Parts: sequence; C-alpha cells; structure tokens
Amino acid sequence: TAGNKILHFGACRVSMSMTEIRAGFTAIKANIQARDPIRTLSILSYPHSLHKLNSSDRCCITHHLFNFYVDKVFKHCKTEDSYVNRKISSIANSFLSMKRKLGQCHEQNQCVCGQESSEKFKQILANYEGLNVTSAAMKSLGELDILLDWME
Amino acid sequence: SGELYCSLLNPRNVRFESINMKNVLHWSAPEGTGSGVLYRVKYSVYGVGKWIRKPECRNINRTWCDLSSETSDYEDQYYASVKAFLNGMFSDWVETTRFNPLTDTKIDPPMVSVSSTDRSLSIILTAPEKWKRSPEEESVSLLQLYPGLQYNVSVLNKKTKKRWFFSISNHTLVVPRLEPETAYCVSARIHVTTPILDSGFSKEYCIATLKDKA
Amino acid sequence: EEALLPAPQNISILSTNMKHILTWSPVIIQGETVRYSVEFQGEYERVYASESWIPISECSLITATVCNITEDISASVAYNLRVRADIGARRSEWGTLKGLFNRNTTSLTPPVMKVIADGYHLLVELEDMGPAFQFRVLCWKKGQERTMQQKVVKEVSSVVHLDTMEAGAEYCVKAQSYVEAINRNSNFSQTQCVRAQGDTSMWL
Repeated sequence: TAGNKILHFGACRVSMSMTEIRAGFTAIKANIQARDPIRTLSILSYPHSLHKLNSSDRCCITHHLFNFYVDKVFKHCKTEDSYVNRKISSIANSFLSMKRKLGQCHEQNQCVCGQESSEKFKQILANYEGLNVTSAAMKSLGELDILLDWME
Repeated sequence: SGELYCSLLNPRNVRFESINMKNVLHWSAPEGTGSGVLYRVKYSVYGVGKWIRKPECRNINRTWCDLSSETSDYEDQYYASVKAFLNGMFSDWVETTRFNPLTDTKIDPPMVSVSSTDRSLSIILTAPEKWKRSPEEESVSLLQLYPGLQYNVSVLNKKTKKRWFFSISNHTLVVPRLEPETAYCVSARIHVTTPILDSGFSKEYCIATLKDKA
Repeated sequence: EEALLPAPQNISILSTNMKHILTWSPVIIQGETVRYSVEFQGEYERVYASESWIPISECSLITATVCNITEDISASVAYNLRVRADIGARRSEWGTLKGLFNRNTTSLTPPVMKVIADGYHLLVELEDMGPAFQFRVLCWKKGQERTMQQKVVKEVSSVVHLDTMEAGAEYCVKAQSYVEAINRNSNFSQTQCVRAQGDTSMWL
C-alpha cells in the first residue's frame, strides 16, 4: 500500500512517498549489491553511521545527500540489464521529486548546516572519490537502504 | 604452481533466515555429500570488512548457525560466510548477500487472546518481541522498533460463514452486538508501513458467545 | 533507396486511476507488418543524464499500437515518451508525445463500493484499484450528518467493519479513492444506505 510520510528534518516537514523508492530498491538490491565487491568500505557509514549525527543536522545532511545521489550517483549506474536500468530511473526521478520538496525548505532557511553535517558530508565525498567513479556510484546505490532506514 | 590440494564442492544456498530479528545463518550441504561434512562460519560488518570467526560454529555438522548476537545492531548491515570440510578436503568460503536486519527480517503474527460475553467478543493482541540474548534481558516489543505498526483482524462467523475485517492501531478490539451462542473465529496479522513488512495471519482462535442473558 | 518509414503519429496517453496507457496511430504500409518500439525519458534523464532515453522492453518491436507504461511512470515528475516504427531493416524517425506527462494529472474515479448491513454491523467492500490506492470512507446515521465518521481503509476485496448500528436505524456510506503518492483524491461515490436489524421501537 502507498506510504506517503511526513518526514521531519529539523524544522523542515516534507511529505514524501518512500514506499515506491523502497519497492524499486528492493527489486534490484541483490543485483546492485552483488556488483559491489568491496566489503571493507562504506560510502555513507564510514567511519561513523548516519545515526550518530544529531537531529539538528538531519535536514542539511539529507539535502546534501539528495543532491549527491542526483548529481553524482545515478548517472554512473547504467547496467546491461534493462529491468535494472528502469528501476534506477524510477528511483532517480523519485529522488529528484524529493530533492525539490526539501530544496524549497532549504531555501526558506529552515535547513541549517552545522559543522557536524558539513564534516560528515565531506567524509562521504572523500569515501566516494576514493574509488573509481563506477564502483563508487554502484556502492552508493547499493547503500540506499542505509539512507532510507536512517531517513525514516 | 603444481601445488596439489583436494577441493570439496561448496555449501549451497547460504543465506540469513531472520524472524523477529533472530538472525540465523542457514545453508545446504555440498552436493552429493552425505554425513560427516563439518563447517566453519565467519561474519563481517559491512564497511568494516574484517572477517570474524564464530567459535560456537567451528567444525559443526549441522547446517545452521545462530548469528543473532553478532548481527543485532540494526544500524549496520552484515555478510556471513561458510566453508565445508570432509576427509582433508575443503570448499571455498561461500558468502551471503548483504543482510540488513531491519528490512530483511520477517515478523511473526501477533498473539491473539479472545474472551466473550453473550453478545460481544473482546480481542487482545500482543505484538511479538524482538529476539533477545537471554531470558533475563529486557524484552523489546516490535511495536517499539516499528512505530507505524498496525493490526488487521479477521472475525469469522462460523454460522453465517461471513468474515469481517478490522484495521486497528491499538492492541484491543471489542466487537459488540453479536449473536448469542454463536461460534466466532478470530485471527490477526501485523502490517508495518515503514519499512514495508507484513506478518502472516495468526492461526484462528475460535470461541462461542454465551447463552443470551436477556 | 527505399522510402523512409513515416514516424508514428497521434501519440497520446490515457491515464486513469494511476494506470497510464500510451497509444498511437498505426503506420499503414500495404502488405507489411509494422512493428513499434517505445522509450521513455524522465525529468532526471532530461536534466542530469544527457537527455538519455530508456527502452521499455515489453514494448519493443510490438505490432500493437498500445503500451502500458504504468511501471515506468513511477515518480511525480514530467516524463517524455517516443515511438518509432520498423519493417525489417527499414526504420522511421521517432514520433514524440506532444507535451510532457506527469502522473499527477491522472483522472481518479470513485471506488466501486458495496455497503452491507449484517445484523447490527455496518460493513463495506471496496474494489481493488491497485497498490497506490487507499480509501476515505464516510459513514453516518441517516438524517444526522453531524454523526459522520471517517475511516481510512486500505483493505480491498474484503468485507471491512465500519461501525456498530442501533437497532432499526438507517446508516449511509460514501467513499472516495485517495492516492498518497500524488496527494489527490477522487470525487465521492454515490451514497448507499442500509438498515440495521431490529426495529426502532426497541429504543422508545
């Protein structure tokens, strides 16, 4: 069943339909994660889990992460599998829709970026740039459940 | 190099089976092997990657290993791996897919208790508890892990064969204005929207309303 | 040199209750079987992925002039669609949808609903309109609109309990379908009223 949610990111309240993204990701999770042989590194969770962030930084890091996935990740995740590509397109377009909603909140200055979130995002980018672009993109896509679990 | 070693076929279908966050690694014996095969198990936290041996599952002949304790932090994801040994031969390590305890667990149906008067049923539902290390450890209801948890309740009138459904968020339901001396069967399931998790329906609990007091 | 095949024309989308069907006019070539292929492009592909297009495998080299694109129109952004024709090695240019399509514009119809009185119990059965749907059901005692209650129902194709009725009283129900993903609902269905068993004198 559908699952529109009011997600709270600090002062920002954004209504998002997470169910479709979760369903799309669940459909390709095994396929995508199997393409990531590197067990020793996590893009989102290294060195600390997103859960360690304090809640006042939630809005800013989420805003950064939406931009990160839309700008950097999805475009480098093309596969030879048409079904997987269509699901990735579905997730990417849903992210674009969510990015826009959260962006409105960010523009109304309700999405304050503290030092902790800036540090965390810098670390995520460093983890990402530490790998070649396709491996980094596929690993980031494979970690989408980490982001969704944390967001919800 | 001409190094000679005997290899054994790999364990098959290595996977986590998780219910209420009791996370048990299961596998099937290598094809064509009878008894006598022993196994070793290791696991790793995704992103850390250091493989850690599970001593209680070293040289075991069963085809499962309880890793609930090692995989209990549902902010992490995990891999596990199994290797088979037989008469000096051994297989490769065979890994699971990445396991996410929060989304990859199944949940049991709720416990259902039903009482009746002459014209009503009172139903009390209890969500299952999360796996715990020991009986002394404090119990955590799945209700606390999945705040969006709801119950779907089915009430079957055995006389008319009509089934009604109720969708409730709290754990009690009273169905008033029923027929006296009539058998009703109740079953329930759990529905979680975040992440999407549904238990199956519980078995049916049947009870009859009492003789009419009026 | 063989004439270029004409591109498919009149490409349009029929979208009802979150089911999106692409249709186009057939390309007529005497004595030949024309096959069609469909591709889609979301806003993400247009803006962030070099305007790339994604083929729909279920609608590749088909002879029908219809394609169910519901699975791929799975976000609330503007999508573009295109169709081309093939006869053997001969291939047409792409025919493209006039204007973009956003699923927010789908037309929503009220649910088919059956209201049942079973003894003193008010029940409703709602048609299955697909996973994106849930239903807002209003019920009230006839003549007493202020007693109106609202229930959000997600169960479909099963008899859902709404309320317990007073003996002999008449109760009315109406429902509208609601799609959370686009935050829109349909008009209300026709109101249906049923009467509880027993007679009202029991209450005098």
